[in-house]
Amino acid sequence: MTDTTPGPRARRDQYRWPALGFIAPGVLLVAVLLYLPLLWTVLLGFTEYDGLGDPEWIGLENYAEMFDDPEFLGSVLNTLLWVGGTLLVPVGIGLGVALLTWNLKGGTWLRLPFLIPYALSGIGVGVIWSFILSGDGALDQALAAFGVHDTPRWLVDAPLNTVVMILATAWQGVGVNALLFTIGLQSIPKEPLEAARMDGASGPRLFGSILWPMLRPLTAVVVGLSIVASLKTFDIVQGMTKGGPGRDSETLALTMYKETFVNSEYGLGSAIAVFLTVVTLLASVLYLRQQLSSKHGV
Amino acid sequence: MSRAIRTAVLAVLGLVWLLPVYLLLVNAAKSPAAFTTTESWRPTDFSLLANIGEALELSGLAESAGSTLLYAVVSPALAVLVGAAAGFAIVALRLRHGFAWFVAIFGGTVFPLQMILLPLFDAYSRTGLFDTRAGMVIVYTAISIPFSAFVMRNFFSGIAHNVFEAAVIDGASTWRIFARVYLPMASSALVAIFILQATFIWNDFLLGLVLSQSDTVRPIVTSLAGMQSTYGGAQMSTVLAGGLLVSLPTVVLFLFTQKFFARGLALGQY
Repeated sequence: MTDTTPGPRARRDQYRWPALGFIAPGVLLVAVLLYLPLLWTVLLGFTEYDGLGDPEWIGLENYAEMFDDPEFLGSVLNTLLWVGGTLLVPVGIGLGVALLTWNLKGGTWLRLPFLIPYALSGIGVGVIWSFILSGDGALDQALAAFGVHDTPRWLVDAPLNTVVMILATAWQGVGVNALLFTIGLQSIPKEPLEAARMDGASGPRLFGSILWPMLRPLTAVVVGLSIVASLKTFDIVQGMTKGGPGRDSETLALTMYKETFVNSEYGLGSAIAVFLTVVTLLASVLYLRQQLSSKHGV
Repeated sequence: MSRAIRTAVLAVLGLVWLLPVYLLLVNAAKSPAAFTTTESWRPTDFSLLANIGEALELSGLAESAGSTLLYAVVSPALAVLVGAAAGFAIVALRLRHGFAWFVAIFGGTVFPLQMILLPLFDAYSRTGLFDTRAGMVIVYTAISIPFSAFVMRNFFSGIAHNVFEAAVIDGASTWRIFARVYLPMASSALVAIFILQATFIWNDFLLGLVLSQSDTVRPIVTSLAGMQSTYGGAQMSTVLAGGLLVSLPTVVLFLFTQKFFARGLALGQY
C-alpha cells in the first residue's frame, strides 16, 4: 500500500515464482494429507464399503440408517451433554478462579494447582480417574470414611458415567480457562474500573456492569474453543469406559471410530464423520454469528 | 469479598484439585506387593523408580518413548518452517491471492480428525506408510502446519515491508532474506508454535491408534492406553507409574511456558 517504487503489479510478478515456491510445501502437505482424505470421506459416506472390493454407491442410505438407530441418537445426546457440561463446569469454574485470583497477592501461586493437570493427555487423565472411581476405589473409600457406603457405580451407571467423565475433564480444563480469563482481566483498562468503584460498585454489580461486558470478546473465544473441543470428545471416553457399558457412554467421535475400525462399516463410519463435521461447523458459524450480531445489539 | 476469604476459598479448592495428583503419586510409588485396591489414601513404601522401570518394560513404553520424542521434535520443527515459509510468501513476497492461499491452508484445521482417519489408514496401508515412523512424522507435520501458518502470517504482518526492501537492495536472495532476516526475527513466535505443537503431538492418542501398531512406532499415549486396558489389579501401581512417566514431560514443559500457551491458545482458537 505504502510503497511507491515500480508499482505493485510489477513487484508482485517479480516474486511470483519464489512466492509459489515458498508456499508450495505447506499447500501440498495440507492438500494431500488433509483435504484429499476429507473429500474421500465425504464420498465414502454415500457408499456401502467394508474395505474389500469396491465401494457401492447407496446415496443417502447411511444417513437414513443413522437416524433410525437409537444407539446413534444416544450418542448424539451424550455429545450434547458433553457440550453443555464442559461449558457449565470448566468454563464456569475457570472464570470463578480467574475472578478470585484477580489482583490478589500470591494469585499466580494459588492458580498453579489448577494448571498442573492441563497439559495431561486425555488418556493420562483417564488413567488417574479410572483408578479413583473404580469400585471401592479412592473415592468410595473417602465416602465410606464419612459413612456413605451405598455409592453408585461411577463408571457403569449411565448417564452418571458421562457426568463423571465431564467432571474429570473439568479437573483438567479449569486451569487453562482461568489463565485465559486472567489475561482478559489484566487487559481491562483501569479508568472505568476506578470510576465504577468510586460510584460504589463492587462484587456482583461490578462484575455485571463492567467486567462481564469487557470480558465478552475473550469469553467468545473460550466458549467457542470449549464447544468445538467437546464435540470432538474421544480420548477420555475411550480411556475410561470405551463408550460402555454396551454403548451407553459413546460420543459421536467414538461411534464413528467403532463403526469404522471395529465393525468395518466404512460407509456408515464416514457418514457419521460427515455428520459430526457438519455439526461442528454449524456450531462455530451460528456461534460466531450470534456473537457478532449481539455486539451490534449492545 | 475480602482478600482473606478469597485466598481461603482458592486454597481449599486448590487442595481439592491436587488430591488426584496426590493419589497418583502415592499409588504409583507402591510396590506390587504393598499395593491394595482398598487402601488408596495411605502411602506405604517408595518403589516409584522400580515401578517406572517395570512400566517401561510392559507394553513397550520404552520403545514408544523414543519414537514419540522423535515425532514431538521433528514434526513441529518441520511444521514451523513450512508454516513460516507460507507466511513469508504471503506477507513479504506478496503472493497474488495470498489471502485465498492462507484460507486454504488454515481451513485444514476446522474439521474434526474423524474426517480424515479412514482414508489415511487406507492410503497408509496401500503405500507402506502404515506403522512406520516416517508415516507418523508426515501426518503430525501436516496436522501442525495450518496453525503454524496462521501464527506466522500474523507475526510477519507486523514487520514493516521496508525490512524486505532494504534486504533486496543489499542484494540478498529471497531464500537468504527468509532464512537470515525473517526467521531470526520470528524466533519467539517459532518457539511458541513449536512448544504448543510438541505438546499436542506428545499427547496424541487417536492418530497413533489408527496409523500404527508395533511397539517401536506406536506413540507413547497410545501405548499407555493399551497398557491400561491390559493390566490391572496388582499391577495397577505399574500402570499409574506409566501414566506419571508419560505425563511428566508435557506437564513440566507447560508449567514453565504458560504464557506461550495462553497466547497461542487465544490466537489459534484451538
